[in-house]
Amino acid sequence: MGKNGVPEWLNSSLWSSKPSADLFAIYAAQTLNPDSPPQPSTPPPPPPQPPPEVSEAAPTQSDPGPPKFSPEETSRQSLIVFELSKKVLNIGELRRLVCQGLPDGAGMRPTLWKLFLHYLPNDRTLWVYELEKRRSQYKSFKEELLQNPSEITRRMYESAPGRQEELNSRVRGFLQRSEILHGEHPLSLGATSVWNQFFQEAEMIEQIDRDVKRTHPDLQFFSGDSYLAKTNQEVLKRILIVFAKLNPGIRYVQGMNEVLAPLFYVFRNDHEENNVAHVEADTFFCFVELLSGFRDNFCKQLDNSVIGIKSTITKLSHLLKRHDEELWRHLEVTTKVDPQFYAFRWIMLLLTQEFSFTDSLQIWDAILSDPEGPQETLLRICCAMLILVRRRLLAGDFTANLKLLQHYPTTNIGHLLYVANKLRGTVHC
Amino acid sequence: MVLVLALGDLHIPHRASDLPAKFKAMLVPGKIQHIICTGNLCIKEVHDYLKSLCPDLHITRGEYDEDARYPETKTLTIGQFKLGLCHGHQVIPWGDLDSLAMLQRQLDVDILVTGHTHQFKAYKHEGGVVINPGSATGAHSSITYEVNPSFVLMDIDGLRVVVYVYELIDGEVKVDKIDFKKTATSAAAAAH
Repeated sequence: MGKNGVPEWLNSSLWSSKPSADLFAIYAAQTLNPDSPPQPSTPPPPPPQPPPEVSEAAPTQSDPGPPKFSPEETSRQSLIVFELSKKVLNIGELRRLVCQGLPDGAGMRPTLWKLFLHYLPNDRTLWVYELEKRRSQYKSFKEELLQNPSEITRRMYESAPGRQEELNSRVRGFLQRSEILHGEHPLSLGATSVWNQFFQEAEMIEQIDRDVKRTHPDLQFFSGDSYLAKTNQEVLKRILIVFAKLNPGIRYVQGMNEVLAPLFYVFRNDHEENNVAHVEADTFFCFVELLSGFRDNFCKQLDNSVIGIKSTITKLSHLLKRHDEELWRHLEVTTKVDPQFYAFRWIMLLLTQEFSFTDSLQIWDAILSDPEGPQETLLRICCAMLILVRRRLLAGDFTANLKLLQHYPTTNIGHLLYVANKLRGTVHC
Repeated sequence: MVLVLALGDLHIPHRASDLPAKFKAMLVPGKIQHIICTGNLCIKEVHDYLKSLCPDLHITRGEYDEDARYPETKTLTIGQFKLGLCHGHQVIPWGDLDSLAMLQRQLDVDILVTGHTHQFKAYKHEGGVVINPGSATGAHSSITYEVNPSFVLMDIDGLRVVVYVYELIDGEVKVDKIDFKKTATSAAAAAH
């Protein structure tokens, strides 16, 4: 890396025009991951029976993806299929393969994401047991946490000793008054009262409701009057409410709905019907796992601390300075574009708002699979996003640059991930 | 889970200046879905206050109400229950349960809420249930000066109702509850 900041590989003609199909050949020619052993020149033939979770390995697909695959991609795909068919999966190997790109995303994505988010263990024989355990756990969460106070108090009285026998079922007469238990009544202002807690949470629940209705208004899956959209919205709401109640330290923060949405979409479109029937529970646990890596970003009290969002943004800044000092200087010093102005949303929402939905799924493939971990990978991708538009940024002033970064232009995602990959191996400051 | 506040006979400003402070502390907006008021508020300020607690407000006319436009009786349906509202000074003898039962059958409601006596009552007969929430301010009635402030909050959940009775006794708020269910037979009886 030269002292003047622009690395040699950036000067290649790759960046000067719109990427074309030639790039695939260029990618294939270069070693993508310098640390791993070189890939075999001919891929091992896939096993005769494909595993049941994965749709056929042939590159025919239902979603409008890239028109055809390069030989390199097809070989990687068959490697992935082969890995997935094993009884005990080598997650490390799968990560290495998938973080270079997942060409036929649709079929294998749900299973892969569940593996990378530690929802499915790597021993395939344990899958059924694990899934059943988690799914029933979620069911009991729902039963416990989604009741209204009427139901809760009714159960309280039913289980209390010596409850009055018949509910005033005599035909005629004055109705019996009975004592209330634990001072529970609807107008109670007690901190521990289920009624009071219910009304205090009502505001949070309304917020969740509003945010869910605003999620991806352009996608019929999420928005609109269709039955599908409405049921999907209800699922998202329930997951967020259960999460908030189980995590009183962080509860619900605006933006969590955006992080939840791609997970739910991918799992809901699983080709395996049994998985679709339990999509809510699966999505819940994967959401918990995903958020656990990024929780600190959502916690307001941690904003200024060493682990909060501001510190993460600073890391991005350092990363940029390390790889492209000229750009860094121009952005932060000359044009005074503080990374907080654009990177906040990039990082908090894991880039879901910066690209089209399908593109962001591809980016998430990289973020979730990369062995370096989601936070590091996300920062590398953000840095790559800056480097990719360096020409325009270097030519722009504060307003132009801010506008560009807050409305990031459509990009070839493979391209972007390739650049991000090149930034690997950095040391944190 | 629908919360319905039933109260009345406040007689503000003639016999009482305001609701007891402890009641007012509990009655906050955002919790109650409906308010039914037996009457004798008596002035517009009380109407506005109740409206601020909950926009769905139903009032029937008491003999001292300044607004003469309130109806003599009112019926409304909440969930599975039909509720009837009437101040009660029209029903003679005042507070007589059989006469009130007749009114209930006339209105054809499951729960009749009525006032005027300033005494809490909850009574069940073949035609349904009669509830008198008493006087929310403890104002004296035509009959007696010994009145504890009281009101009623009903939690209507499907076919069950939990009636929470709030009374101010010796300066402290006491809450009791009454459960009853609408059974098939009473529903059938009400239908005839």
